[in-house]
Amino acid sequence: MAWFMGIDIGSGTSKGVITKDGKLEVYHILASGVNYRMASLKLREELLAKAGLGVEDIARMVTTGHGAGIIPFSNRHVADVHCCARGINCIFPSIRMVIDVQGQSSQVIRVDEKGHVTGFAVSEACASGSGCFIEVIANVLQVKLEDIGPLSLYAKNPVTFTTGCAVFGESEAISRVAEGVPKEDILAGVHKALAGKISTLIDRVGLKKPCAISGGGGLDVGLIKKLEELEIQLLVPPQPQIVNALGAALIAGE
Amino acid sequence: MTKVVILNRNDEICASIVKHTGAEHRRLANKVMEEALQQAGLSFDEISYVIATGYGRITVPFADRQITELTCHARGVSHYAPNVGLAIDVGGQDAKGLKMNCGKLLDFVMSDKCAAGTGRFLELIAASLNLKLDDLGKLSLKSTSKASISSTCTVFARQEVVSRISEGVPLEDILAGIHDAIASRVARMVERLKIEPDVVFTGGVAKNIGVVKSLETKLGCKVLVPEEPLLSGAIGAALLGKEITLKALAQGKPVQKGRRSLNESTLF
Repeated sequence: MAWFMGIDIGSGTSKGVITKDGKLEVYHILASGVNYRMASLKLREELLAKAGLGVEDIARMVTTGHGAGIIPFSNRHVADVHCCARGINCIFPSIRMVIDVQGQSSQVIRVDEKGHVTGFAVSEACASGSGCFIEVIANVLQVKLEDIGPLSLYAKNPVTFTTGCAVFGESEAISRVAEGVPKEDILAGVHKALAGKISTLIDRVGLKKPCAISGGGGLDVGLIKKLEELEIQLLVPPQPQIVNALGAALIAGE
Repeated sequence: MTKVVILNRNDEICASIVKHTGAEHRRLANKVMEEALQQAGLSFDEISYVIATGYGRITVPFADRQITELTCHARGVSHYAPNVGLAIDVGGQDAKGLKMNCGKLLDFVMSDKCAAGTGRFLELIAASLNLKLDDLGKLSLKSTSKASISSTCTVFARQEVVSRISEGVPLEDILAGIHDAIASRVARMVERLKIEPDVVFTGGVAKNIGVVKSLETKLGCKVLVPEEPLLSGAIGAALLGKEITLKALAQGKPVQKGRRSLNESTLF
């Protein structure tokens, strides 16, 4: 019997899981903060406590994500596309394409029946193609992260952003607020803009059904709705944020 | 920013004003004009010709004529440096490169799709570090090893700055990294124009000595900055106004003037 650990240090949150016999045992999510090293240590501690294990019980550990490079106790660092593919394959074996919407990028990954990557496209290093765009706009609108999705569903006339830049988008959102445009229409506008960017990524790799969504974007019903309006039906994992960490732990076990 | 320049017949500056445009720029133009007239000790009727330029040029109801910012800018820069080969202007929301020869505009590049590589980038970084925009340049010169900051996205760069601070990187090194990031972006933009001296750098960002130094390294040549880098467009506009007036007088024709009213602009 062996336990494996997967840790995904994202730009916003850090996720960790422990697996046993290829199955999820425990998971934990915390804010990455500015010190990824501290976040990883804390995360490991929490995971071990939840599972009732000691460091020596973990046979192997794989790290992934934005801040994975600086984790002191990792056995291996695996690129997030591979972890995402492996993780989604464990949750939904039928999935052939996964859209991973993270804090600093979005990626569209084609997956085969074994959970291997057969093609992928990643957004440019620009906030407007990532979940960060939603956060930036929600911040100026003073909408809490968990309220973004539900509130956006009330939108009657989603705004169209004239800029592709999150910073200029922020000014645009402020102007719309001043004009009296409801918050929900602005939020739905951001969802529409991001869904548009994601759909160009999908075009690049070629749509493969069935699709799933992972990452923080998977918690946003507004974004999912806009993607579904583009004829992209999505399966949503019960906990979309931990898909990559799960994949990392499974890779550790192989 | 809204700028006003009044030139006399010898091309000397009688008045110059730089003011925040703010959200209601159509209300502002007449006010800054009145201020400039007061500074010069002139009445509005004594001004021979008024040219409006820039993004908000149509909201200046008292202008005799509107001319695009590229034309005015080219004129203003070549007045400052007659042998200008490349004029770079980096303002609050866009960046431009003008390829010039003997005072003529040959080609240009422009970037207004993304905040990285514009003054907006510096504004946001200054705000998140709680520093004054004007202090960034001088502070950064103390740097001994510049931090690496992403030049591709302002939002990500801001997050990187926070991480660097928590890692204990000195402020001046972070600022040097920021200036390097914006300079690389600008250098990449003007690459296509085939850089030839003199290189003149204007706009608000040219006031930042750190960016100027970094740009000199990237372009591999000296970068000239006018004393008041924000005024080039307005000076160019005033010079063009003088040329239009002199041309009309030389031909014995009346000077074509607009329906001048020193009032707030109305849309209808």
